[in-house]
Amino acid sequence: MQKVTDGPYTLHTLDNGLRVVIERMPHVRSAAAGFLVRTGARDETPPFAGVSHFLEHMMFKGTARRTWRDITVDFDRMGSAYNAYTSEDRTIYYGWVRKADIGKQIELLADMLRSTLPASEFETEKKVVLEEIAMARDNLEHRAFDFLQEKVFAGHPLAWPVLGYEDTVGPLTRDQMGEYFEQRYAPDNVLFIVAGNVDPEQIIGFAEKHCGSWAVSGVAAKRVPPDIHGGTDVLTVERFKQQVVALTFPSISACDERAETAAAAATILGGDNSRFFWSIVQKGLAPRAGAYHLEYTDCGLMMLYGICQPENAEYLLEAMRVEADRICTERVREHEVERVKNKRRTSLAVESETPYYRLTQLMDDMEYRGAPRTVEQMLAEVDAVTADTIYDYFQEYPVNADGHLASAGPRRWPVVD
Amino acid sequence: MSDFVHENLPCGIEFGVAPLPQRHVVSFQIRVLTGACAEPPDKLGLARLIGETIDKGTQQRTGRQLSDAFDAIGASRGSATGRETATFSCTVLPEHFDKAVALHAEFVRAPTFPEDAFTASIQLARQELLALEDDAHGLADKLIGQKAYGPLLGRHPLGEPETLDRITRDDLEDHWRSHFHGGRIVVAVAGAVDPKRVAEIFQEQFDGFGSPHRDGRVTFPVEFSAGATHHHKELEQEQIGICWPGVQATHDDFPIQQVILGVLSGGMSGRLFTEVREKQGLVYWVNAWQETPRGTGMIFLGASTTPDRCDRTYATLLREVDRLANDIQQDELDRAITGLVAALETRGDSTRARCAELANDLFFFGRPRTDEERVAKVQAVTIEDACRYLTTYPRDRLCVVTLGPRPLADSAIEDAHPNDSGPA
Repeated sequence: MQKVTDGPYTLHTLDNGLRVVIERMPHVRSAAAGFLVRTGARDETPPFAGVSHFLEHMMFKGTARRTWRDITVDFDRMGSAYNAYTSEDRTIYYGWVRKADIGKQIELLADMLRSTLPASEFETEKKVVLEEIAMARDNLEHRAFDFLQEKVFAGHPLAWPVLGYEDTVGPLTRDQMGEYFEQRYAPDNVLFIVAGNVDPEQIIGFAEKHCGSWAVSGVAAKRVPPDIHGGTDVLTVERFKQQVVALTFPSISACDERAETAAAAATILGGDNSRFFWSIVQKGLAPRAGAYHLEYTDCGLMMLYGICQPENAEYLLEAMRVEADRICTERVREHEVERVKNKRRTSLAVESETPYYRLTQLMDDMEYRGAPRTVEQMLAEVDAVTADTIYDYFQEYPVNADGHLASAGPRRWPVVD
Repeated sequence: MSDFVHENLPCGIEFGVAPLPQRHVVSFQIRVLTGACAEPPDKLGLARLIGETIDKGTQQRTGRQLSDAFDAIGASRGSATGRETATFSCTVLPEHFDKAVALHAEFVRAPTFPEDAFTASIQLARQELLALEDDAHGLADKLIGQKAYGPLLGRHPLGEPETLDRITRDDLEDHWRSHFHGGRIVVAVAGAVDPKRVAEIFQEQFDGFGSPHRDGRVTFPVEFSAGATHHHKELEQEQIGICWPGVQATHDDFPIQQVILGVLSGGMSGRLFTEVREKQGLVYWVNAWQETPRGTGMIFLGASTTPDRCDRTYATLLREVDRLANDIQQDELDRAITGLVAALETRGDSTRARCAELANDLFFFGRPRTDEERVAKVQAVTIEDACRYLTTYPRDRLCVVTLGPRPLADSAIEDAHPNDSGPA
């Protein structure tokens, strides 16, 4: 397939559909490689909730050429900073190494992704995943977020937790996982990205050599945008000491060109030095109160979130609603916008320093925009945010409507009929 | 060493600079050598309250105006109060470096500790203590820290509800006045800066800030308590923490300790991950790490697992430590060394990480260290060194803390301590 070079980027697609994106960073000493598999919790069916995440664990358990032990030893022989994670809509595997080791790193990651899902390891690894689920259940915020998603996205695959449930992971068989793996880990559903001090020609050669024979599945992702539900839902867990209060509202998706505007809006409302910080945290009402723009490929949520003493929950909610109403009805001030933009410029400069951060940015760019963005292009999008664009955003996606209220903690509040 | 600059300024500040001219940002850390260990025992939490309120008002600006001034230059800031230090860190574009230093000097030198900010910080500290009850890992860390270090170094920066009740706004001002001055400040800077200009700007901004006399370079006594303690809490998992004394960061054997921890837990091929998680599926989280307050070192093992598996997890953790001296292999030693060396190059691409390394070197060693120096000491570690270390510093006195629904079974403790009298 034709290779395209554009500034520091090289884009190439293998004959089997695997897309390769490379960013040259000649000033660094390291390089990072990663595979993004376009599969996650939202691609599962209810009886198999958690299979994407469990499968991610199994990718470390053995291939035709390596045992699980060989895989971990080979990573550590390079001194790689490596890991994997699963979200609602993607599963990512990466390794960050010294530049001389990038070829070995790519070979290892590529081999891992052709896992044989060894039967001898399946039940042992299932125990690990069940421990991870137990650990998450000891974390109030983790439980509150899972609960929120369950209610806001009710009836849609985004509703269940990435980790799944004990009663879906527990009965899962290796054959069921194998079928999911065959469909979802085909090269036309995978993106391969490398950033760092590398030679693009050499990287393409590695990709051809190690991934060129991967068979196409022809199974396209069947994703349907969710309905976003309002209402009030309460999760009572008496053993926790604090109460989570979360208001959520529909917002733009990660693919929307107004993503920087939504992020800036969230920062003004609930980031550092934000309205929430001064009117809630610095009033001693709650140690944490923030606004977060949650992005998915085809939908988004603006979440106003705080955690407080249970008896303060209604005061926290009221304080969040007051600020939410104000930001929807009055234009934010230009100096607030400038502050956020200035900080964003610094964070982009920091993130552009290391191959690992660039890897994650490139994954987002490719998934959400279909092409990599230079730091200059990102800065231009930051510069385009104004008080007017933020005002327009809130006119279309108001956060002073009812939205969805989730409350989680020891207090049964608010009382819902 | 050739590129580093390390000097003491007339104002008392000790500073180090790692010039990285190709970088697009500058990172700096200002460490004030005072922390929770310097608090009066009846006013625990005081140091952290100072850290939380010191930038909430100065003689020139309100807290909000100060935050706005930082945002106007796009500063990415952080602060933390620990046992020994109060640290203020910042990353900015190079053109904003001077202003960022000036703003830090403004609040470090002239805080007003406004009454409303003080009141809020007390309320928030109480809530943070409550939040700790919902954080099983964090709570287990606090509990084992108290046992590992004793009443002084084992203090938790949040303090306790009853000590927070005793703290007044005047206490903050008095403590700041007696513990914040030029001679207690160590600064590390990394990035696209001219070291000469760095010296000028810090001297200019901190000139006359209290005593320039070098102060705060002290070690605090450790009172290690061997024994097993269980704290009951309704949780799905049992938190297991184990610790014993190791060596301090400046000790000749420290690189050996680093490598041994790498063998235990340096990557997924480490012994704990392999034996506890991969072979038996007992846990999701397992780790070995070290903490190095100035003048001491402590080794920790940690894991969380469902209650009926905690005895086996505990036994496996200690079995792996015990068999190290008998069967440590060259290839796992090599992997641990490679992991430490490679991290210098990968993380070294981050200016912020380079600054943090320099700050640690100034704190522990009183001088910058080159990558070559770090690498040489780690690469020189041999199997013989590891065996000698394990013999010299045996895990013969353990502090064990569990948090969760059930204590370790007596039999599990006895089985894991065949050669000694056990932790209790």
